[in-house]
Amino acid sequence: MSLAVTFDQNFSGASEDFPTLLRRKGLLQRAPEVNSSVGNSSFVSTESTTILAFKFGGGVLVAGDRRATSGNTVVYDRADKVLEIDRHSIMAIAGVPATAWEMARVLEHSFQYFRRTQLQEMSVDGKVRALSKLLRDNFGFVMQGIGVVVPIFATYDSNGEPGAGARLYFYDAMGAQFEVTDYAATGSGSPAVRGILYYENTWGAKPLQKLGEEEAVTVALRALDTAAESDTSTGGVDRSGKIFPLIKIVSHEGLTTLPEEKIAEVFKRTVA
Amino acid sequence: MIEEPYRWVEAIANRREYIETQLAAGRPIAALSYRDGILFLTLGRVRQKIFEIYDRIGMGAIGHPGDIERLRMAAIELASTEGFTRSAADVSLRRLAHYSLSPVMKNAFEQVYGAPFLARLLFAEVGPKPEEDLFLRVEYDGAIATNSAGVSPTRLGFAVLGATKQAAELMEAFLEKQHTAGADLEKTIETALDAWSIGHMAMGEDGVKKLPEPTAIAKHSQEQFAERGVEAAILERASKTAIRYRDLSDEEVGSAIKR
Repeated sequence: MSLAVTFDQNFSGASEDFPTLLRRKGLLQRAPEVNSSVGNSSFVSTESTTILAFKFGGGVLVAGDRRATSGNTVVYDRADKVLEIDRHSIMAIAGVPATAWEMARVLEHSFQYFRRTQLQEMSVDGKVRALSKLLRDNFGFVMQGIGVVVPIFATYDSNGEPGAGARLYFYDAMGAQFEVTDYAATGSGSPAVRGILYYENTWGAKPLQKLGEEEAVTVALRALDTAAESDTSTGGVDRSGKIFPLIKIVSHEGLTTLPEEKIAEVFKRTVA
Repeated sequence: MIEEPYRWVEAIANRREYIETQLAAGRPIAALSYRDGILFLTLGRVRQKIFEIYDRIGMGAIGHPGDIERLRMAAIELASTEGFTRSAADVSLRRLAHYSLSPVMKNAFEQVYGAPFLARLLFAEVGPKPEEDLFLRVEYDGAIATNSAGVSPTRLGFAVLGATKQAAELMEAFLEKQHTAGADLEKTIETALDAWSIGHMAMGEDGVKKLPEPTAIAKHSQEQFAERGVEAAILERASKTAIRYRDLSDEEVGSAIKR
């Protein structure tokens, strides 16, 4: 005799996450299965941009240029690639904008959906994992060459336990997450930026984590300017059009977006 | 037995009586517009009764926790998917209640072989001005009462949930006299606490039948506040962030009441 216990699936809310809910309602596309026997050798990674993030004295700074390209054409010079996910989290994106912005939207709603249904904030580890899962679910599109996203995730953990504080992660297109201690960069201009940040952190006036806000902004602007010097898909600073990179900071107090005037002022004084 | 229409009506009437009895022990909840937002307030912290539904929508509920939970989940699910596929600005409390919750609750109530929802819900949606705040009550049978049917010069800036019809009416009578939508948060917390006390005093067989004296209300408020503690949340009118819902801390409530 078997005692089969069937659970009423109508109250699935307690365990269902937001992407699953969207898929159940047909509101989120499912990526095609990756067929490993037919590897896509023509796969070209297109992540034309430069995003950088590093920890400094006041939290984590995340900066991104504003250029969006399609092949050799600049299609938009005021793109926002440093996105606010919640009061303490930033996702910065390199890759296909349509997929990346959709991913950011799903992520933003996921965190809120979790808080509202479960009556508690999602943990930092949970948030980091949620993005990883979205990337993994998207991998079928990546293999088709139409939806690669390589993000950076910055957040602030206020749980008071050892190791809490500013947290910074970068991902690969398959969804592997890597926590970094000092800095991360992604996009086509990242090799130059990574070089600069390594140099600054190791032999600069002081390590990145000891920098004040203005010094940190200076490093970020100089790094983006350097990346733009050799990478055509990085906008850097458009001096004539007065278009400056986007810089956001996550700290214990939450998330702040630096006003353009302030960035312009630091730029004039320390970079130009 | 319910093949005959008369039996069906009888069954529904019995069911209504049963649900009212079940809900009669529910502690009141008051929701009031004030200058900078909407305040939800109730006493007792045995279990949470005030919830965030979406950016600008809050909910208070009395009834069975299991049923409240199912309705709360449904409301959050609907609002979240709407906000995701369209935009946060397209999430509307009116549509949520009229097109989604009410028909489902009515259906459950009238299917006499199934279980009804043992819950009474109070929703509020904060607007740009106090006159545009929306309050909406959904009963276990799907009936909806709102503060904003049509254009009215005397639109009410509050709504209540009471254990019984009489308790709710007394609370409303009190708020109609005492509450102004232009008041600040501290004053509004005091008013909401007094309204709660009236709803609480009107509970049960030997509850008050008309508005008690102000001194009696004040005494009851102080006693109950000291004994039970307050659960309160606000929907902020002017906030830089999209999410307007916020729980009030004990200090914020305490300082208003001890004033």
